[in-house]
Amino acid sequence: MQGYELTIALPKGRMFEEAYRALGRAGLSLPERGAAREMLHRGAAVAVLELRNADVPTYVDLGIADLGVVGKDVLAEAGRDLFEPVDLGFGACRLSLIRKPGDSGPIRRVASKYPRVTERWLREKGIAADVVKLHGNVELAVLVGLADAVVDVVETGTTLKQAGLVEVEVIMKSTARLVVNRSAMKLKRERIRALIQRLRHG
Amino acid sequence: MKPEGTRDYLPPEAEVRASFRERLEALFSRWGYRPVELSALEPYDATHPNADRAFKLVDKTGEVLMLRSEFTTALARVLLPRASEGPFRLRYAGKLWLREAAAEPGRLREFTQVGVELVGISSPAADAELVELAWEALVAVGLEAAVIEIGLPALVRDLLEATGLPADVAERLRRAVDRKAVPELAEALSAFGVEGKLREAILALPDLYGGREVLQEAKRHALSDRARLDLEWLEAVASALPPALPLMFDLGMARRYDYYSGLTFRAYTPDFGLPLLGGGRYDGALLPMAAGFAVGLERVLEAAKAPPSRRGVEVVAADVDLARRLRAEGRVVELAHTDDRAALLALAKRRGARYLAVEGKLVEVTSCRDTN
Repeated sequence: MQGYELTIALPKGRMFEEAYRALGRAGLSLPERGAAREMLHRGAAVAVLELRNADVPTYVDLGIADLGVVGKDVLAEAGRDLFEPVDLGFGACRLSLIRKPGDSGPIRRVASKYPRVTERWLREKGIAADVVKLHGNVELAVLVGLADAVVDVVETGTTLKQAGLVEVEVIMKSTARLVVNRSAMKLKRERIRALIQRLRHG
Repeated sequence: MKPEGTRDYLPPEAEVRASFRERLEALFSRWGYRPVELSALEPYDATHPNADRAFKLVDKTGEVLMLRSEFTTALARVLLPRASEGPFRLRYAGKLWLREAAAEPGRLREFTQVGVELVGISSPAADAELVELAWEALVAVGLEAAVIEIGLPALVRDLLEATGLPADVAERLRRAVDRKAVPELAEALSAFGVEGKLREAILALPDLYGGREVLQEAKRHALSDRARLDLEWLEAVASALPPALPLMFDLGMARRYDYYSGLTFRAYTPDFGLPLLGGGRYDGALLPMAAGFAVGLERVLEAAKAPPSRRGVEVVAADVDLARRLRAEGRVVELAHTDDRAALLALAKRRGARYLAVEGKLVEVTSCRDTN
């Protein structure tokens, strides 16, 4: 955004807090957080956009934000051409194939919030299955027979257990990444390079 | 229904587009680049870099055709039989189509490029000519704040080849380098047992960006002789450029477009996230010796904050004879086909015209009494 030295896109929720802390520790003077419903936090030199996590790669790719923090899972799903120079370590989770216990029949239909990652994995595995894009409560799809497997985020596995489902295979592991716009990385080199160094070694 | 990612342009937008295009073409002409026109229809070719992403049509013979998706390969194909007659300095301007591009700001499926190819010379001086011309092109459209960035994908390719890893693994490493994904790169290098000086050099690639010091930094790593020669070539290009030209390097730039054999370059401008132009040297792949670049017209239009002043209608004319004389003097004259003063004034107002041409006289609009 014009008028700010840096514009940062962060996903709302828990990762927002952790990213705020990590960037603060790395010496970035972030704006005071405004009201809870605020989407745009304006500081003296830095502006922070609070977004749905899947929108973070879009804002950074199109150069509205110079950099952002987002999970590797979301980044893989977005398929956008960004720099991802730092693994921030927090927000650890995995994308896994989930089924009903004892279900070993062929997979013909998979439901997921991550259709792109799912399709790529199915192709690599040589499984000919349809992918159904869902927006939430993905586990339900396998319980009620919409799909015979789902691909979803697993953090601790508690939710899965409660739903009476099992994690069959880990598709990818994910942690939060610093993502940087291709143009900003170069034009705001001094600032961003120093930030990357501190985040890597901090 | 409008096909996604396509646009129609009307005045004044179409005028601004035309004026940008004319400025670029005029600049390229002043450097001795002569125009070519290429067909928008091409035979389908599975080896074309955009083969998967191009629009396809079926010809009356049943053969598959592609809509032109880039100028470089198209022009190279035409020039190949005459490549030895060079040097050729050629320029092009026109539309391109990509089926799979996402339609977003600055990313259309039907888009326009204005560019040049310099065929039949391969030298640092020739590369410097193109980089300087690219810079002048940006200045010509008012983007003086832009920066040119030079990369050397051959260096990345060279180091990855030295690992001796199979192509799919090397491709994975290339992607990690190109995305500066250092954590993934380190992990993959460990997983595939790339160690020592080679590992160190590959891991350094993503951070080899910045000013001219980057070239010195790169030389400290274990490089092949070929890579060293490539770096010296880059240094020669840099020293042949005017010192005022804002120049950066990114030796971790490694796009998949693998016809580039030598340097590649792009340009960025503040507060605009996408590259404004792109080009490079592609000796051997399409032609024995060739390099070029293309400016994305929609990109520079989007990035240029203030559109250049354009020459609008100066005179609204009721008098056809006077209109002919004024046009011959070089004025922009629009015929009104009416003698009604109020209608003439209304039209002049809409056009922002300064004069009326009535009954053999040129009358200033402001001197007319407002009849409304």
